[in-house]
Amino acid sequence: MINKCEKIPDEARMPPRFADACVRCANCMAVCPVSRVTPTFPGPKQAGPGAQRFRLPSEASVDDWITLCTGCKLCDTVCPSGVPISRMNLLAKAKYLREQGRKPRDWVLARSDLYGESASRLATVVNPLMKNTVIRKILDSVLEIDARRELPSYERQTFHRWFRARPVAAGGFTQGRVAYFHGCFVDTNETDVGKAVVALLESQGLEVALPPQNCCGLPRLGIGDFRGAREMGARNIASLLPVVRDGVDVVFSSTSCGMMLRHDYSQILGLAGAEELAEHLFDVSEYLLSLYDDKKITPAFLPVKVKAAYFAPCHLRAMNIGLPALELLGLVPGLDVQSVDADCCGLGGLYGFKKENCAVAEAIGGDLAKAVARIKPDIVITDCEGCRMQIRHLTGLKVVHPVQLLRDSLKPLPVTG
Amino acid sequence: MDYKTEVVIIGGGATGAGIARDLALRGIPSILVERGDFTSGASGRNQGLLHSGARYAVYDPEAARECVAENRILRHIAPHCIEPTGGLFVSLPEDGFEFRGEFIRACENAGIETVSLSPREALALEPGINPLLIGAVQVPDGAIDPFTLVVENIRDAESRGAVVFTHTEATGFLRDGDGVAGVVVRDLLEKKEFTISASWVINAAGAWANRILALAGLSIPMSLSKGSMLITNTRLSQRVLNRCRPPASGDIIVPNSTVSILGTTSLRVDAVESFEVLPEEAAFLVYELSLLVPEIKSERFIRAYAGVRPLIRSGETDDDRSLSRGFSLIDHQKENGISGLVTIAGGKLITCRLMAEKTVDFLCEKMGLRAPCTTAEQRLPGAGIGRSLQDRLLHMRREIPAARQEILCDCELVPRDEVEAVLKEGKVRELRDILHRTRIAKGTCQGGFCVYRLLGMLNELRRERNRGDSNEILMDFLEERWRGIRPILWGTALKEEELIESIYKGLFNLSGELSGGQEAGERGRR
Repeated sequence: MINKCEKIPDEARMPPRFADACVRCANCMAVCPVSRVTPTFPGPKQAGPGAQRFRLPSEASVDDWITLCTGCKLCDTVCPSGVPISRMNLLAKAKYLREQGRKPRDWVLARSDLYGESASRLATVVNPLMKNTVIRKILDSVLEIDARRELPSYERQTFHRWFRARPVAAGGFTQGRVAYFHGCFVDTNETDVGKAVVALLESQGLEVALPPQNCCGLPRLGIGDFRGAREMGARNIASLLPVVRDGVDVVFSSTSCGMMLRHDYSQILGLAGAEELAEHLFDVSEYLLSLYDDKKITPAFLPVKVKAAYFAPCHLRAMNIGLPALELLGLVPGLDVQSVDADCCGLGGLYGFKKENCAVAEAIGGDLAKAVARIKPDIVITDCEGCRMQIRHLTGLKVVHPVQLLRDSLKPLPVTG
Repeated sequence: MDYKTEVVIIGGGATGAGIARDLALRGIPSILVERGDFTSGASGRNQGLLHSGARYAVYDPEAARECVAENRILRHIAPHCIEPTGGLFVSLPEDGFEFRGEFIRACENAGIETVSLSPREALALEPGINPLLIGAVQVPDGAIDPFTLVVENIRDAESRGAVVFTHTEATGFLRDGDGVAGVVVRDLLEKKEFTISASWVINAAGAWANRILALAGLSIPMSLSKGSMLITNTRLSQRVLNRCRPPASGDIIVPNSTVSILGTTSLRVDAVESFEVLPEEAAFLVYELSLLVPEIKSERFIRAYAGVRPLIRSGETDDDRSLSRGFSLIDHQKENGISGLVTIAGGKLITCRLMAEKTVDFLCEKMGLRAPCTTAEQRLPGAGIGRSLQDRLLHMRREIPAARQEILCDCELVPRDEVEAVLKEGKVRELRDILHRTRIAKGTCQGGFCVYRLLGMLNELRRERNRGDSNEILMDFLEERWRGIRPILWGTALKEEELIESIYKGLFNLSGELSGGQEAGERGRR
């Protein structure tokens, strides 16, 4: 029962006429991964605009099913009427959690940015502890973090430390500068993705800058902590806006962080400067592909004899930018890459780690696992760290970010001079 | 088969149902006949306002005092039909404070509690009010669900021995010299005529009262006043909102469950079945009430409907609002020399119990019976059943997934078992009867997406009686639905309607069913 009397920021209140735009076509009901696997969640139409007619602002929320929404935003992508369904569900969830009180676990998970760096420094101690079955049982029963799910291990050197410590890159950047928003997970748990982004961008003549940055705030928003998410957003905007005003675009490699920066900062949090920033924010593959389409770069890839399955994360699809990574991967000779015919991995970021959601996350992911198995790939490729964790968990296969494969198939730079 | 009873009641509105219950509680046998289903007339076509009496306080203090007393009684006997929302009488700059002082004094005299609020206090309670307001007065207004109220009165009466025939029209009187000794009726569905002999016939036909009296060559001075209303998709306010000015058209917003109802207009009409809402009435209501709640201009509406108020006329006046909302009990022996016939007419939904009490008191006196009225103390059978919005969401949360049950009406969250329970009672004869007994088709889509889900159930019902077919039922429903939504079709409502039309035309092939341009959609568009 933490923070029972927190002040409610305006953007955390449901605008009064939100339910009116829905024409009840039920397209969203057909794509919702959660209602597909559990009758407890009535689906986006019913949980969103439907239930909204029954919620009185003066009364406490009773629809606890709202916490089952993973925030995948697939409903938004198919709505023909522009109903902000996932936003309605987020607001309803925020109200419910505010009244019920959030679990200590929610605060711990949503603020992983606060201890990520320390955990990295102590990685040699922390990693074995997180695999220790006794500790996991304690985490399971005390914090309700499901013991069946592997926790991601920390890397000893964070990405941003690596970036600062590495030798200064040679000049000859013909394509100008680009800034990189790496996100927490790349920084402390999957630094190789960040290293691949840097290598790939530099190989195409782009100088990479690393502006100061914080957690995007999505984990906080996911537990309805608008205040916390806003704080993170404001700090990131303060740091990134001067960069883009200098004419430097910002790329991200995590589609969920990207969705947060590009969409949620303006559309949900209403942060000042968010829209201006959004115009200069790009998914890293989207950015490279547009340079390639404009014939500004001509990446040369070595043949790779690999059969790969590519899964498009929900938040990538919600960005409505097509599947740029899949197109880039198509440039790699010899790479047999097939798109996975599944909707959602089910992890929903922190969602799947929560004990009460674990079964739902597994059930949603079950369909994805079957779709991957049909392809019989050597590796799986996907842009989102959550999806990568989930697919590793479900299939035991090697799962990488598109930039990692692209980097690995780059021809060595021609030696000059 | 012919029947014999003590009292025949004509009309299954709030008054008739109240009389049936009152008689049953006093042990007097009765049979009620209703031409359609319960609440087909003004009882089901009003704004659902549980009057505190404040609205009548200045100009009709007697009606106001009746409201005060009946309001209290209804809260006791039918809490599940009532939302004690409270109400505000809002003064806008153009209203001034002139009426307000008189209003507060009149409320005091009638025993209606008032609290004066500053604009800031009023806006804190109801943020949607026009921020230019200059003040508000809080009164104990509320909302009432007339459908449940009437159906439960009937249920209670039936459980105590009363007999009810719906879809049965009174076509004539049985005569006994100068008096009336019962009625000739016709079952409109079975198309069979039969008689009910009785010592007393009570004409509680509301706006149709003169049509009944005409069967005996009689009439009473009555004005018919049409009131049109609009229903919003979501609830606009938590409280009833009134303009604090002399009662006029377009000055009340009543929240009711998931929706708000904007009302009303007042147009003198000649025909009883004047249920069409004119485009200018819809425009008028939207404009007038947007002065009170500006958001109304962009609000989505889901239906327009009209009711016909039967107003008893005494003396000459052209303004129907100044006619008393009081009721009249007419003993036709005294008035016309015809014994055994009584007409109870006028009144308001909120005084239906009182009207029943006075009518049955009168009969008891005539019969020489000493049986006190207990309707003010005995609660209705469903009292205590949770029907609040929260209760309904909780039901959906807990019961429906557990039983893996189908929700028939998504908008109003009506599960299949609720409808099956209504069907099991065996009282339902028509699709509309189900709609009066549940909240099906009262939500956003007005039944567009759910009524066809009922047809399987209905078809079974029909097959038993070997009558009609599903297409016919569906067309009847769609025709009626179209009348209700045509006046509000703009914006999102219009978009949704296109989708619904394509379901019925494209999937159900209903346009092919009909000939001669009778199709519901086409007709209105010409």
